[in-house]
Amino acid sequence: MHQISKLTYYLVILFIVLSINFFLPRVMPGDPLSYLTDPGADIPARITEEKMEILLAYYGLDKPLSEQYINYMVGIIRGDLGWSIYYNAPVLEVILGRLKWTLLLVGTSTAIHVTLGILIGATSAWARGRKKDMGLLIFILSISSFPSFFLGILLVIFFGIKLDIFPISGAQTAFATYSSPFEEIFDILHHLVLPAATLVISHIGGTYLLMRNSMLGVLGEDYIMTARAKGLSERYILHRHALANALLPIVTMTAMTVGFMVTGTIFVETVFAYPGIGNLLYNTVLYRDYPLLQGIFLFITVAIVGANLIADMLYIRLDPRVKHE
Amino acid sequence: MIEGRTILGSIGLAILVVFAIVAILAPHIAPYDPHQMYRPLEHPSSRHLLGTDNIGNDILSELIYGTRVSLFIAFVVSVISMIVGTSLGLIAGYFDKLGFLIMRVVDVFLTIPRLPLIIVIASFIRPSVWNLIAIFLIFGWLMTARIIRSEVLTLRRRYYIDATKMIGGSDCYILWRHILPNVVPLVVVQFIMEATHVILAESGLSFLGLGDPIARSWGMVLHDAFECPIIYVSDIWMWWMLPPGLCIVFTVLGLTFVGYALEETLDPKLKSQAYGREL
Repeated sequence: MHQISKLTYYLVILFIVLSINFFLPRVMPGDPLSYLTDPGADIPARITEEKMEILLAYYGLDKPLSEQYINYMVGIIRGDLGWSIYYNAPVLEVILGRLKWTLLLVGTSTAIHVTLGILIGATSAWARGRKKDMGLLIFILSISSFPSFFLGILLVIFFGIKLDIFPISGAQTAFATYSSPFEEIFDILHHLVLPAATLVISHIGGTYLLMRNSMLGVLGEDYIMTARAKGLSERYILHRHALANALLPIVTMTAMTVGFMVTGTIFVETVFAYPGIGNLLYNTVLYRDYPLLQGIFLFITVAIVGANLIADMLYIRLDPRVKHE
Repeated sequence: MIEGRTILGSIGLAILVVFAIVAILAPHIAPYDPHQMYRPLEHPSSRHLLGTDNIGNDILSELIYGTRVSLFIAFVVSVISMIVGTSLGLIAGYFDKLGFLIMRVVDVFLTIPRLPLIIVIASFIRPSVWNLIAIFLIFGWLMTARIIRSEVLTLRRRYYIDATKMIGGSDCYILWRHILPNVVPLVVVQFIMEATHVILAESGLSFLGLGDPIARSWGMVLHDAFECPIIYVSDIWMWWMLPPGLCIVFTVLGLTFVGYALEETLDPKLKSQAYGREL
């Protein structure tokens, strides 16, 4: 029952987001195409008659609003997100072409980030109140104050330019010919290091603080005291009693983190010219390619809402107590 | 432990005060008008302490005026969010039916990823300081409303509230005199969190080129530098990229330290709040 109502809830959210996406260009002054022909725009888009026709057909402005709305919704269900002005191709196709790089970046970063966050958070809580704990706390709070784009720029400057040990842009060496697949994999990983490091460092604060707090809570529980009274070693208590129980909230957090990271890629991919969806969004903003911009927004939103839904479902499975609340 | 957080809090407060003074006194301490054009891409010298940018504006003056823009947006958004969020949170916690309605709206808007939507809206409207404030306000009040509501839900079951009702205290009186004072610590902490969030979101948006092109914030200066093709070729980044970035970092750091110190001091219960952030 709980799961079904959650699902309905997320469907409602999806519907609202779709509606926002539909009405946004239509409530702006003029019609959604006026920016294309507006000579006062920052970058006037060069547009051919043929493209204009495709766009007119997509927005269907000659039809009544209700019909436009229904057509839009039906189109979305069929996977029709519109036509990109800049790339002159279907929006969905352009997005899917970039997807693998974003998945690689977000996947790698999430794995590293969660592992590190758990380890450092647990270490910090275990040493609660002592110098080690305060030191870690101040350190993590400090590095979390760096906005990801600035952190990325700093990493580019120091590791890419000054030390020259990592490439500063792209996901692969341009026009490279590889003698073996290993060489290609190494090249891709080599390009991944700095963007992934940026994402990890700028998001680690959340997981760290959550793990620390969760662990502090668990350490105050009676069963930890019992374990101590039984004479178990500290190491055993930490690993077998405290860690397992403190991990529960991290599950939900991880899904939320994936959402934050997807947004984070907008900045990180921009700084490193990494060819994923985030970088695509930045270019879209520069070129004022509105259909593509809206398509990416929808795509990101669906991904994040989906991640939340999965987190909810997982949490119920992991912790049956939630069901009865 | 107590000493640690007092020191952190004081450091944070000191940083914020310095930036606030710079923002308020900007016209008096900035060496030049930030829109005045000199020779472009000049290196730091006694005339231009941080050199000039690609269109010849004095970078130091840009940053000093940028402090104004960044802090002003964050301050206005946080104050209005605090007032709206607290009022709606009080109402939602005290009146059940209205509360249910308000909380559904809050739930929905909190699930929609904030930054992507802000980016889309900002690219449709011509960005200006007031437009940016309006966009940030759409989301600003949500978290405050939710947190205040859950606190009110427990506060209103206290005996002294029942006692006040029995001697004829009206709902308005109870909310104003007995509930509001009890949620003030929460409100203060939320205010700081929101300010942090807006500083980061505004600089992020500006970094993408969606900030106010006239009243340029720190993020906008960073955007100009980033868009300059020769930025990494020479040492220009040292005075064009590092200073605006560090301004953002120190402001956020100041807010984080003050927030952390307040949280621990005012209400240890607060610690389990959402710490996630988008930037």
